[in-house]
Amino acid sequence: MDKEYSFIIVDDSELDCFVIQKVIERAFKNPDIVSFQNANHALDAIKEQGVKTNPAIILLDIQMPLMNGFQFIEEFEQFSPQIQDCYTVIILSILSSTRAPADIHTEFNKRIVGSIIEKPFTIEKLLALLKKMGLADEKTVLSRKKFLPE
Amino acid sequence: MDEKIKILYVDDEPGNLIGFKASFRVDFHVLTAVNIPQAINYLENNPDIKIIFCDQRMPGKTGVDFFEEIRISHPLPVRILLTAYTDVESIIEAINRGNIFRYVKKPWAEADILSSIDEANKFYTANSMLMVKNDELQKAYAELTKFAYSVSHDIRGPLSGMLGAINLAGEIDDIEEIKEMLFLMGKSLTKLDTYILSMHDYYSLQRGELKITDIDFNKIIDDLKPMYMVISKSSKIAFTTTVDQREVFRSDEVPLRLILNNLLSNAFKYQDKQSTNKSVEVSIEVHKNQAIIYVKDTGIGILGNHIGEIFDLFYRANFQEAGSGFGLYNVKSAILKLSGNIEVNSVLHKGTTFKIIIPSI
Repeated sequence: MDKEYSFIIVDDSELDCFVIQKVIERAFKNPDIVSFQNANHALDAIKEQGVKTNPAIILLDIQMPLMNGFQFIEEFEQFSPQIQDCYTVIILSILSSTRAPADIHTEFNKRIVGSIIEKPFTIEKLLALLKKMGLADEKTVLSRKKFLPE
Repeated sequence: MDEKIKILYVDDEPGNLIGFKASFRVDFHVLTAVNIPQAINYLENNPDIKIIFCDQRMPGKTGVDFFEEIRISHPLPVRILLTAYTDVESIIEAINRGNIFRYVKKPWAEADILSSIDEANKFYTANSMLMVKNDELQKAYAELTKFAYSVSHDIRGPLSGMLGAINLAGEIDDIEEIKEMLFLMGKSLTKLDTYILSMHDYYSLQRGELKITDIDFNKIIDDLKPMYMVISKSSKIAFTTTVDQREVFRSDEVPLRLILNNLLSNAFKYQDKQSTNKSVEVSIEVHKNQAIIYVKDTGIGILGNHIGEIFDLFYRANFQEAGSGFGLYNVKSAILKLSGNIEVNSVLHKGTTFKIIIPSI
């Protein structure tokens, strides 16, 4: 089960990449994590990888210079459906859904974008979301909780 | 009054035109047109016409027809109708269709014309002030929207990163990892600090009068130099400055320093880290009442399709460095404030040159 998830972090902040990576490392055993500060490089890597066997979660920051999260999604939608199906995108946002401009929610293709996590990123938020999205069951969530401090 | 008020008088009788011009040419700049095409021609070539007097009865089109026509194409001049006929119908029509400001009875008395010019000029001034204010307001609103968005990202972004890091810190035992995280937290805080300082620059540039003094570029460069020499030495970036000032130059020192500081810090910041031949050059030449400033670097350059956007507020063309999106916008605002202009020439991976021309005030 542990090798089943792989994570791609796309965030222009070095600190955020570091923290998200460490948080995931602490919650999942041997997670497969790569992080990109430039969304273009992430797209290149996804293109190169092609169709994957195990599903991956893309944690995507919205406000980034050069290529922002919206543009990333637009480019991502150009990939073949087989490639797109290997990934679930979770948006990382500074603003929560209630405070975010309406476009964050309406703009995204529901098939590609799973949900939104408001920063700061915590494992509780990720696990709750994975469960809600049907990507993790109750047992997984509970077993992950063990790794967290009481 | 600095300049004479420009008035256009349209009448099909040349005698009236001559009479009008003779009466008012000393106090006002009077243009006269004997028919409507000529009047429109004047309007096209003189956007500064403030008041139009027009006779109602003319062959072909009436004065009201003419006013109705130019209401859309030339909305600014104040419209005054001259007529000998004062039936209620034509007055109503003139007001409703021609949207006239005043109605002067023919034959006119000089006092009537003078008072209507005076009133019309006040109206024109108030109206154009309103338009200027309206434009400013719209610009301010547009910037406020951008601002609200950026503040949430650029202030809350580093803060939420720090919060996340602090949450995580409690679970990390490895001191090396903690140190790495502290280093990244420091970088985040520096970014936030830069943002707030630039925001202060932004506001001080938006408001406030210019404080014009004699500028000594040699002194400005001498002040700036030590700060950049530190980076120059530590990052092995050659730094040369040349100042050629043999005449008096008057300007506001604060925006000048801001321009140089922002451009220099960019020039040092956006260097190609792999390059072995890194340099930053600033040269200032004061000649014939203007200062020509070059800031030249051998840095990473700017992609051609981004050059148009680099002066936009909150635009960042680079992800590796801690940019606030204020820097070049502030530079541009400062240059505009000093009535100067800026050109940029950049080749990707080769470097960027900014050329600034600022007139002595």
